[in-house]
Amino acid sequence: MTRSDFSERDIHMALDGELPGEERMAYDAWLEANPEMKAKSARYIADRAAMRAALAGVMEEPVPARLRQVVLGEAPAKASPWRSRWWLSAAAAVVLAVGGLGGYVAGIDSVSRGDDGDDQLAEQAIAAHVLYAAEKRHAVEVPASDKDHLQTWLSNRVGLKLVAPDLAAEGFQLVGGRLLPAGGQGKAAMLLYEDAKGERISLFVTAESSATSKGTYTAEGGEPEAVYWLDKGYACAVVGSLPPERLSDVAKTAYGQLVAGISS
Amino acid sequence: MDAKKAAILSEIPRLRRYARSLLRERDSADDLVQDCLERALVRLDNWQTGESPRRWLFTIMHHLFIDQMRKVNRRGEAAILPLEAGEAQAAPADQVETIASREIMDALQAISPDRRAALVMVAIEGFSYAEAANILGVPAGTLMSRIARGREELRGLLDDTSRRRSIRIVEK
Repeated sequence: MTRSDFSERDIHMALDGELPGEERMAYDAWLEANPEMKAKSARYIADRAAMRAALAGVMEEPVPARLRQVVLGEAPAKASPWRSRWWLSAAAAVVLAVGGLGGYVAGIDSVSRGDDGDDQLAEQAIAAHVLYAAEKRHAVEVPASDKDHLQTWLSNRVGLKLVAPDLAAEGFQLVGGRLLPAGGQGKAAMLLYEDAKGERISLFVTAESSATSKGTYTAEGGEPEAVYWLDKGYACAVVGSLPPERLSDVAKTAYGQLVAGISS
Repeated sequence: MDAKKAAILSEIPRLRRYARSLLRERDSADDLVQDCLERALVRLDNWQTGESPRRWLFTIMHHLFIDQMRKVNRRGEAAILPLEAGEAQAAPADQVETIASREIMDALQAISPDRRAALVMVAIEGFSYAEAANILGVPAGTLMSRIARGREELRGLLDDTSRRRSIRIVEK
């Protein structure tokens, strides 16, 4: 006797290879006769394909040395298990660095880059901020009083249409900007802002990002902190020692205006 | 190198993939794999030569994962991400994700850990219902309902995402 009383449950079983072979034909016929169920099955199949595709790259990655060492008994220097949240931002910062290097192709040499801590760009944004934000007279190359020239010059050098965000609503005024090296041959624009109390934040913008990501990165020692975004074609970091929520707010305002400027 | 260690080594790529689907972030996923391997080596005698280490290792890892999820819940760690929920999820360091990959991985992280584990175990790792139920330590019926609910939840989340995206496009 042929089974005919199929249900949604059988969609899952069929998908997972749990439907007995002799029921398969009757199941297929049932699916054909029930467009709603057929659509559901097709959707689950598509979602599974997307999941598999998203995870496929993991199998191709070289096994991290620390995992091999555990098995081979070559005790690695192990960080405390379940290290707290730092890895979340650190991992993302590596994406920023890799994206900023340009010409990066997914999957190539990715693990060794990550393991080498090749997170130069996030570090650079912070390093630039630490160095120049502390300068009183020489913090910038072109002052805000020459804003039009500053924007044109940096746009030409970096290769992006750069509009210095207006952060007055956040209490910050543009001090000026400078051109910096970024990730080897890349160039970055640094825009410095200051509030009434003299607190400074900087924006670090480079072109040539092929990745899309966002996150935060904190310098060793706790501050300053960088909030950054990567989008197709550019990467942006907002660096400062503000309370995280405030920095995040300022960064969002700045980013919104940068994007509007770049795509205008 | 003895045969047991060689067999364990060859399972690492799969363990990493499973861990990545559970935790998403590469470093924390590898921390989970590392904890799993360390525990496995201490208990090497529990594993019979000739038997595939896969089920044995996945079982160890699943227990560690569940312990970890309980700790996270106690600390409320998910609530203190720096940016808005969802926005703060940093992409894995090792791959440039497509939008589709990112959306499905985001959605996968948003479903309950139990459903996520059940779904991934079967749909990605290819375990049978019986094997997966055994590894997760639940009856087959429970496993099946987790898979069904997990798939449905995932679909709903992905639909929400694409709806939000089309609203954003309209707003522009």
